[in-house]
Amino acid sequence: MNTSEAKEKLLLYRGPIDHADPQFREALACAHRDPELAEWLREQVSYYGVIRSKLREVEPPGDLAEKIISNQPIPSGRDWTQILKLAAAIIISAAITAVSMKLWQRDAHRLTHGREIVVRGEVLDLTCYVAYNWSGPKHASCAMDCIKSGLPVGIKAEDGKVYLLTGKEAHVNAELADYAAKIVTIKGKETAREGFAQIQVEEIRKF
Amino acid sequence: MSADPEFENLVKLYYRDLYRFGFSLTRSEVDATDLTQETFYIWANKRHQLRNPANVKSWLFTTLHREFLKICRRRKRVADEPINEAAQNLPHVSADVVNRIDAQTMLDALGQIDEDYRAPLVLYYLEDLSYKQIGNVLAIPLGTVQSRIARAKIKLLQLLSETKTPHRRIEK
Repeated sequence: MNTSEAKEKLLLYRGPIDHADPQFREALACAHRDPELAEWLREQVSYYGVIRSKLREVEPPGDLAEKIISNQPIPSGRDWTQILKLAAAIIISAAITAVSMKLWQRDAHRLTHGREIVVRGEVLDLTCYVAYNWSGPKHASCAMDCIKSGLPVGIKAEDGKVYLLTGKEAHVNAELADYAAKIVTIKGKETAREGFAQIQVEEIRKF
Repeated sequence: MSADPEFENLVKLYYRDLYRFGFSLTRSEVDATDLTQETFYIWANKRHQLRNPANVKSWLFTTLHREFLKICRRRKRVADEPINEAAQNLPHVSADVVNRIDAQTMLDALGQIDEDYRAPLVLYYLEDLSYKQIGNVLAIPLGTVQSRIARAKIKLLQLLSETKTPHRRIEK
């Protein structure tokens, strides 16, 4: 690196705050070897300090903090946008479930039956997972409530594949609600409708 | 007395820094005051969306900058000429000139720099943020942050080198 290239790099160097930044390492080494460059750098850092201190002379109006604090808006407490989105997701999910059940009754032959499988994975509240990609321990409490309320329950296998768990609805939801976001093993018959993978649950191993 | 100590603490901790950022962007006490207030009120209503409390400072600066851009759009601001100076054109400014310049002169010089360049330059001087953090605040890539700061710094030093004497002080 020559002096000109080092200056290009060191143009942004602010002093101690940037000392650990690896992008300046080589240029700083140049400055150690080159007294003229070192002097230029000292001058630049000194200008930085002066300009910074001048800009920091700007003071807000004396009563600004008090004014902001006294006019604090009453927190809404809830994010209505999120709530509306969740409500929309639940309605859509419920509609899909209703349509699926209707089709199941009218068009059961269209369900593709597969082999018996055993899948180990995380219990999902499918509504939130499909709508928002919410899963995992942080979402466990919400998932538990959704599953308890009867929303579709699924499992995300260790290979990443997601299945809708079917069977006696109340039975599956009641059995798995307390295991939301936890790892269980499901044994059952793999089925699919319109490409959407499902397992007709026969056995649940909670360990 | 606030019923919300978290809000009060946050205001006391950051209102000066936010106001300075707002003032450096707008050069208007009224606008800087409005931007600072609005930023805290937005936080008060959206604080639960902030997943990592350690990022609160960056979040506040980002919010203030977004509000500033809204003002710019509302006022149909005409963009200044982009800065074309190359890094090797760094002017020599005597230490005497830099030391004698007052804050108002500095702000006037900043005000002559296009907003796209001014915002990263102000954060570069005022706040101890890394270049990556400045990029996050302004939602621009790291390389762009660095090139904008470098060009804006050259422009600022050119403007300061043309300054003869401080002409007035900030009026409070």
